Order: sequence, then C-alpha cells, then structure tokens
Amino acid sequence: MADTYTFDAKDLAEIKKITDKYPEKQAAVLPVLWYAQDKFGHTDSSVQQLVAGTLGVPEAHIRGVVSFYTQYYENPMGRNVLDVCTCLSCQVCGGYDMLHYIEEKLGIKAGETTPDGEFSLQSVECLGACGYAPMLQVTNDKFVNHLTREKVDKLIDDLRAGKQPEFESNPMPQHEKGS
Amino acid sequence: MPEIFIDNKRYEFEEPGKVLQFMLDNGLDLPFFCYHPSLSIPANCRQCMVKAGMPVYDREKGTFEIDENGERVIRFFPKLMTACSLDLADGMVVLTHHTDELVKQAQADNLEFILINHPLDCPICDQAGECPLQILTYKYGPEGSRFEHKKVHKPKAIQLGPRVILDAERCINCTRCVRFTDEISKTHQLTIISRGDKNYPMTAHGQIFDDPYSLNTVDICPVGALTSADFRFKARVWEMNQTPSIDISNGKGCSTWMWTRDNLVMRVTPRFNEAVNDHWMPDAGRLAYRRFNENRISKPQLRLDDAEQVRTSWNNAQLTLLEELEKISAGDILVIGSAHASVEDNYALRTFFSNKGVSEFRFLPHIIPGSGDGYLISDDQAPNTNGVRALGFQETDEKTLIKLIKSTKPKMIVILDDDLLGRTSLTPDHLSGAWTIVFGTNHDETTRTANLVVPVTTAAEHAASYVNVDGRIQRTVPAKETLYTNRRLNLEMSMGRLDHYGTKFDNWVTDANRVDCISAWEFFIRLEHDGDAPKWESSRQIMEEIAGLFSTFRQVSYDRMDEENGIQLKLEQDTEVKPA
Amino acid sequence: MNNDWKSYQPLLVPAIPDLHDISVYEKNNGYQALKKILSDAKTWNPANVINEVKTANIRGRGGAGFNAGLKWSFMPEPDGKPRYLACNGDESEPGTFKDRKIFEFNPHQFIEGAIIAAYAMQIEVIYVYIRGEYRPFVQKLQRAIDQAYEKGYLGKNILKSKFSVEMYTHMGAGAYICGEESSLMESLEGKRGYPRVKPPFPAQRGLWGRPTTINNIETLANVPLVMNHGADWYLAIGPSTHPGPVLYGISGHVNRPGVYEYPAGMNIMTLINEVAGGVRGGKKLKALIPGGSSTPPLRADMLEGVTMDSDSLRQAGSMMGTAGMVVLDEDTDMVELIWRISYFYDHESCGQCTPCRDGTGWLEKTLRKIKDGNGEMRDLDLLLAICYRMEGRTICALADAAAWPVRYSIDRFRDEFEKKCKKTVYAVA
Repeated sequence: MADTYTFDAKDLAEIKKITDKYPEKQAAVLPVLWYAQDKFGHTDSSVQQLVAGTLGVPEAHIRGVVSFYTQYYENPMGRNVLDVCTCLSCQVCGGYDMLHYIEEKLGIKAGETTPDGEFSLQSVECLGACGYAPMLQVTNDKFVNHLTREKVDKLIDDLRAGKQPEFESNPMPQHEKGS
Repeated sequence: MPEIFIDNKRYEFEEPGKVLQFMLDNGLDLPFFCYHPSLSIPANCRQCMVKAGMPVYDREKGTFEIDENGERVIRFFPKLMTACSLDLADGMVVLTHHTDELVKQAQADNLEFILINHPLDCPICDQAGECPLQILTYKYGPEGSRFEHKKVHKPKAIQLGPRVILDAERCINCTRCVRFTDEISKTHQLTIISRGDKNYPMTAHGQIFDDPYSLNTVDICPVGALTSADFRFKARVWEMNQTPSIDISNGKGCSTWMWTRDNLVMRVTPRFNEAVNDHWMPDAGRLAYRRFNENRISKPQLRLDDAEQVRTSWNNAQLTLLEELEKISAGDILVIGSAHASVEDNYALRTFFSNKGVSEFRFLPHIIPGSGDGYLISDDQAPNTNGVRALGFQETDEKTLIKLIKSTKPKMIVILDDDLLGRTSLTPDHLSGAWTIVFGTNHDETTRTANLVVPVTTAAEHAASYVNVDGRIQRTVPAKETLYTNRRLNLEMSMGRLDHYGTKFDNWVTDANRVDCISAWEFFIRLEHDGDAPKWESSRQIMEEIAGLFSTFRQVSYDRMDEENGIQLKLEQDTEVKPA
Repeated sequence: MNNDWKSYQPLLVPAIPDLHDISVYEKNNGYQALKKILSDAKTWNPANVINEVKTANIRGRGGAGFNAGLKWSFMPEPDGKPRYLACNGDESEPGTFKDRKIFEFNPHQFIEGAIIAAYAMQIEVIYVYIRGEYRPFVQKLQRAIDQAYEKGYLGKNILKSKFSVEMYTHMGAGAYICGEESSLMESLEGKRGYPRVKPPFPAQRGLWGRPTTINNIETLANVPLVMNHGADWYLAIGPSTHPGPVLYGISGHVNRPGVYEYPAGMNIMTLINEVAGGVRGGKKLKALIPGGSSTPPLRADMLEGVTMDSDSLRQAGSMMGTAGMVVLDEDTDMVELIWRISYFYDHESCGQCTPCRDGTGWLEKTLRKIKDGNGEMRDLDLLLAICYRMEGRTICALADAAAWPVRYSIDRFRDEFEKKCKKTVYAVA
C-alpha cells in the first residue's frame, strides 16, 4: 500500500463543510478522523499526521485523541471488524458464548485478525442494543441483533461474499401489538 | 478585609485566589502533585483535598447564623474539595489534615491509589531524594499497600527526545509535562495517550521531543517518569551542593541553581524569578554546565618566542605583562572588554588600563539575529552586553575592529574572556603584529593564539554581576572551588552535608577538579609591583565602587541583588564616568 | 398504580407509521408547539417558555433527573456572543437503548424540543452529540434535520420570525465518559474526553468558554408535549415529583425485551411481568438493575410495590438512572455480573484523576480474583474499602458509578460472594 495518504480536493471540500460547523478548527478533530478512517480504513500514524496537517492541530493532540476513543483504528484492521458486545445485558444473554463461537469459527482470539485479513474480532463494551442481546456491530456500522450460531454463520458467509448486513429496525413492542 | 479560617486560625486575604496557593503563600502545608503555580489547574491528582464550608447567612436578619456556643454555623460542602481549584471566599472555613480525620484519611487513601501502579524502585530511581511522591508518601501516605495484584506495565526508558527519557510506569498522570508544552513552551509536542490506568505521556508517532525547553518537564515531573538524559545516574541529590546562580549562556540571564559535587557542576536547573524566567529555563543553558568542568585553562600559559605555549607561574605571568607594558606607550594598547565577562572584571580591566593612560575601550557584542525566540532565548549570546555598554566600553563590530587593527597597528592587544577568533572573522594574522594577552576560562582559538593566557574564573567560581538583555543586574555566587578558594573559609560559598561532615573518604577529594585560576580583577590587584594596580578586597567592594561612579549602577549592591533577586537598571541614562 | 397503563398511548414515540418523515410528523400536530411560540412571541417570550418547562418539572432523562426548566434558567443573560445547546445522545450507560428509538421513529419531536429549548435560552447553535456506535441512527437523525432545514424549522429566520438556530450532529468515537456533560463538551471541542472541574458550571463556562446547556435527547423530546398541552397536563402524567412519559428500556432475562413507553412511576413488577412478559423460561426473578449499570441492583424481594420514579427507587435503595432496566433471573451469577460491570468501568475510566483511574482497576482485579475462585473473605472488606475511597473524591461521577454496583451488591448478595471466597483460616496464637 502507498505510504502516502492525502486528501484530494473533494475531501478538502467535505472537511471544509465539517470545520464550518464549529467556531474552532480543533472541534473538527473527531469528525475529520471519522472521515479519514472511512477513506483509509484506519487512523494510523500517517493518517494522524495528515489530519493534523489539514486542520492545523498539533500531531500529538491527534494521537492523544485517537488513542482515547476505541472506535478509531490505530492500526489497520481486517476488512470486516466484528465488535461483539459482552457487557451486562449481552453478558447475561450469551454474549460470551457468541464471542467464543466466533473465535472458534474464525480460529482467532478476540483482539486478533484472521491471517487472510478478512476479519478482526473484538470484545466490546455496551453498544446500546441491550434489548436485542446478544448482538454485534460490523465495522462501526450496522448492528446484528439476537445473535444465534446460525445467524453468525450466515453473517460471516455474507461478509466473506462482500455482502454487508442490512439495517435491522427494532420497533417498540407496543407498536407491534398495535394497541 | 475578607477573611478565611484555616484549621481554626484566621487569615486575611486581599486578592482573589485559590485556597492551595494561599496556604502555600502563608507557609502552610498541604500535599499536592498536579498543581503548579504557572500552569492551568486540572485538579486531577486529587491529593490536596480539604474540607471546606461557608457560614450560613440569615438574609432576613442580615447576620450570620450563630449556634448555641456563639460560633458561626458552617455549612460544609458535601464532598471534600481540592484546595487547588477552590476559590478563596470571605468567611470560608477550611479544615486540613491537621484538624480533620476525614481529610487525613482521604490524603492517605489517595496516596494508596497513586502508589498501586507506581513501581517501588526508589533505590534505582533518579528522582529519589527530590521526589514529591516519595516525600509526600512518607509524610501523608498509608503505612503499607493492600494491593496484591500485578501492576499495570508500560514502556520504560523511552528516549522521548535528545534530552528527556520517559519511564511511563512511574508516571502518575499529573499532566504537568503536557500542560507545559501546551501553555508555556507552546510546542504542543506532548499528549497523554490511551485511557484509564494505561495512560501515559507521549509524543506524536515518530516525533522527537526536541522542544528547546524540554528539560523543564523533568523539573516539574513530580515523580521519576521524566528524567534528564544527561544527568541521569550521575549523582544523587543528597550528594550535591545547591548554589544560586544565573544562566550565562545567553542574554536573558535566567536565575538558576548550580548543583555541584566534588567541585564539578553536575547540572543546572532553573530558580524561580518572577521578573526574568518564572520557573523555567532553556535546555541550552542547562547543558552549558559542561564549560565549567571541561576544557578549562588551569595555570597561566606563556608563549616564548614563536614556540608553543607553556605553563608558567602566576608570578612570571604578572612580570611578563609588566615588562611588555614597559616597552610601549598607552597609545599602542588596544583593550577589548567582553560581554561574556562580568561587570566587575570589565571594570577592573578598564580601571587598570585607564591608570596606564588608555582612554578607549572597545567590545564586540555577540548577537546572532534570529537565534532567539522572544521568550527565554535571546539573540544575544552573551550574558552581560548591557553591563559592558554601561561601563562605557565602545560597541564595535568586527569589520571596524579589523580596520582599526590594520590602521593603528597596536603593539599590545588585551582581550577579556571572549573567543573573538572563534566567532568572528578575526584571524591570527590580524593579531600577529601585537603582543596579545587573553584572559580566558576555556581553551579556544583565541587563547591558543595568545602570547600570554591568564586563566580566569567562570560564573561557577566567582561572585560577580551581569546585566541581562532587559537591563536587569543579577549576580552569581561561587559554586565550585578554585585552587585558591575554600568552601569553609569563603563565606560566599554554600555548604552541603558532605562539606560539613565529609571526610577524605567522601567525594570531595579530587584536587584536579579545582582549577588553577583567579578572577580577572584579582589578577590586576596582584600586579603589586606596579603602582597603577588597583586595590580591592572583593568583588563586592568593586561593585560598591562602581555604584558610586556610574549613575546606571547607582544603589546597586550585592545585598540588594540578593534580596530582590536582581535589580532593574535604567539603561537610558548617561553612562559617563563621574569623577569619584 | 392502577391499570391505566394498558390504555396508555405513547407520546414520545407514538405508534404512527413513518412518523420519522417530516410530512407525517407535521400531519400529526408536529412543529405546532414551535409555531405556537413563534407566532405569539409576546405570550411565549423566552422567560415564559422556561417557566412553563420548569413548572412541568421534566426530570432529566439522562440519569441525574434534574428539572430541565430549572437547568435552563441557569443560563446568564445573553451578551451578544455565542451560547450553545448540546444535546446528549451519547447513551452509553450499559442497559440503556432508548434515545435511538427517538432518532429512528420520532426524530422531529426531539428536534422541535431542541429548537424550543434554544429559543428559550436564546441560543443560536445546537450540537447533537451521538455516540459513534450509533452511526446508523446518526444518519437517520441527520436526514430529519435536513428535512427540518428544508421546511424552514431550522436555519435563519425560522418561520419568518427573528429567531435563527443551526443544528449540527457530532459523532463520538467510543468513550462512555463522553456521556458526562463536561466530558461531552471536551469531546465536542475535539479533545480527549476528560471531564472538567466544576465550578465553573457549563451555564457559566461551557463550550469554547461560552454559556452552554446540555440536555438529554429524551428530555428534549418531552418539551413539545409540555408546550402543546401545558405544564398542568404534563404534571398529571405519572407522579408529580417525577412526571411525564418515560422510555423504559427492558433487557436481560425477560420474554419480551425492548423499549416501552409508559408514564413515569410504573410498578416495577408490572413492567417485568406484564409489559415485558415475565422472566424468561419461567424462571424466578433474582434481581433488577433499575436504571443502567451504575444504579445499585435490587434483590427481587426488595421490589415489592416499588415504582419507577426517583422517590420510590431511592427509598428502595437504588436510583432511576436512565430507566434502562436489566432483569436478572435466578441463575445469574452475581459475582460474574458485578465483575463484568467493574471491567466496564475500568475500561471506560478516562484516567484523568487518581481515585477513579487506579480504583476502577483495583476493583476489577479484586473481583476477577474472587470470580476465578482465588478470593479470600478479606477481599470483600477490601472491595468495600476501595469503594468508599473512590466515592465523592473525583472530578466526575464515574468513580461513584463504578463503586455503587460493587458496594451494594456485596451488601445485597453477600452470600454469593462469600461462597466464591476461600475460607482462609489464619492461626491466632
């Protein structure tokens, strides 16, 4: 991979839109890091350098921010990152079982990436889907709820085939009853 | 006047402020780590917790509520407060560990927390002996720890930059270093990385912590997390003497401490001076300590004919100068003072040669435009440019000087401690027509060219004054002995534990560390065979004489400089010599 | 509590299809409160709006339960310089998953509430801080905001009045602490989410040093209700000390987990057994965490007659928190559960101040030791001691949040902890 990371004119226009939202450029650090991570897949040292230079914010500050927030990938990750929640409701509803099942299935431990670079697996804290436990999030995006072994199998097959999961709506049970 | 009650004692305060700083100003003790008077207040170490409350005010009656004992009813804040961030308020009641068991317990608890992940490596830690964590743990900490798990492991011995080394495990996350680079040096080179108990200070990836003020973070680090790459493992704090001095490596003249052991300067650290450098100093000034120890000229050096310089006796050096003076007239002498030398030495030079009939005195300022930063690093490379100027030395640039030498062809050139050949386009050829005498501290190109070299003392060895770029006169105190000074006899010198109680078996025995040199003024008074030699007992006395002669230096004295941490001079005034 | 709840019609997230679309929202009385205020600015000057909201006593739904209108009244008089409203959609307290329902199903009611809040406090910029894990929901809210701009509810001269306000979303990136209001502001300013020392409070010095108010998403979604129907109407919903509709997030061992909207003050056993369909698999109830991981767990036998409002829960020995109820059945291993909660707080402690940075780790390590069967009885006393030393001594409340579940669990489930501890016998001479 190229060791130079740059923002092109379109990126810079987007970043300008972001910085315009705030009275100070530094405030754009989080959204611009997101933007960079979407583009490059991670926020490693070169990306940090790029963001620092683009926003005119000290590089050390960027490193401090990146290392504080868990969703920024300081190191390149697998193409799909599976964040399995094991916290509280997910813990009591089988979150660890799912985590261990995926570990077995992928042959890696939480915190590792498969040798083919397809999957990274992480055990994460509460993702805010407690009523739909156990669940996981795919690469900081879609939630996959009510995990079962079958659902995990299908998800992994789909992801291998390049198919991202759909957004799952969880309506309020009151609405479903129509009462 | 507003009042505050601390441990049941009443204090008055005028200015708004914080409780911790007020207590420190009043000599009261309270433990703290993260607070620093010159930095912002994060209140993150939580060590300075106190119990605080306000009297209950009865709005209807317009008075304070009084209990049955006639005392004011105090409503205490529900939680302990950090004194560092607590505003002084009229009528406030503060209880510390002296009067409140909860506060005492809380301080011990907090230290227990700090220590659970702090390595117990004081015996091999450079900070030991001057470590706030060590000291405060002895004073306020728990007796032991109930922590029975593995401590959090973090990187050790990381070279953050050329001058600073990090041991992340020792860090207690006070963030003083980060705040220093954000708020004082403004290089923003440091940040805290990671989260929770895995936090530690770091630079950006691949970035070198080369902040020109980086060593200040070592000073303010309250533990041994940041240590000086240069000073590390060289000396224990308790083996050293600490002498107040000033930085002579540039024109700012930061107030410093000189730390000596066995008559070697081991390190230089900043000394608080509100008018000059606050708590800080540039790294360059600290590393300049080497010039006090290394490459020193010891014993006079004389060139016989065109041969190499040889060591000679002081007596011979003096006689040689007098002989050379006999041969020529005053008009043949070119006297060049030095912005690198003290007011006293320049004055002595001037006095001696005035007596010989010389009327023109010159000096070459040592200024590199653009090398300063407008803060504590000045363009001026010399500590005393304003001092020499105020003594009436004529400011001369190198071109003019070379022209002058070529046109007047002086038979004798006198250079006071300044490496003119090393730092200007002046060459040995320019000097070859004259007999040259150089007063120098360290071997350099100029001293190597001289016919006679007189070794003189450095700022580490003499009591002398310097006028900084802002016109502030400050003085040094001898920190290391020469062959002719003695710590026990010279009352100007500070004494450490080993000076008082040390024996031959201690460290203070290396005679080679005592340089065979004297102050320039002492050289002139020793020319006793000469009727023109001035008569002074001490540099203190010279300053008294200068104060009487020059309006710029009026009312300047060593005592006043000591009391007021230097004196601001008015440099605009005339600097003509007034008849005594 | 009678059976009124059965006929209750949701107000925060009504069962109306496609309500997230602005035209549907408008058809259902949407943006009427804002129109009412802006068309009659004399009656509804900012001070009167604040008073109305204050009277309605909307208790903050983010956990602290502070009267929202009272909080608004702390804002100083405008001085012509910027002031901010930050809407807290960080929602990262384990057991909490309610605000996402608003983003997904009824975003405009929140947007309208936020605009009214901005009007009342004379604020021109609103930031909506949403946790980074909620990216799909951020996109949903952003779509609604775009619609509101198109229709002129946001932007310059709203509904042709003199009032202008901008609304921006700001996505977090994975840090529980950013739900703490001062940490949220730091994060919005693009920094590490370190909570700030208070005072100064946000109303004095908030975002970029300017007066700022931070309100929870659900709290703001209540505002249009108050302005449409009046404070008295609102006060009649649920207990007057803690009135209004509440989004109850029920998770854990129940048959029908999910977010339910009912008046505050619902009977807990009704919520568990009738609303959420009872404990899964016909098992017995063991305990309940009533309002997110930091609220002290209650044993089943402590739940008799307890209702979901601040007063009742305080009496029972816990807190309302975010009303994220985690139901635990008889097979739950409390030691494992509390260890995992401690692990969470250790992981999420920002590390800024000492008692929390080192205390959360110490709790986690000690609980891990007990859970792994290596604990000793004295470790229980040590845990309690650590908790007492953490509480009330830190910059923000994370240390308290970490300490309470441990402290109260040891108190309420001591036998379970003791069972896991070795009965070490020390010889006494």
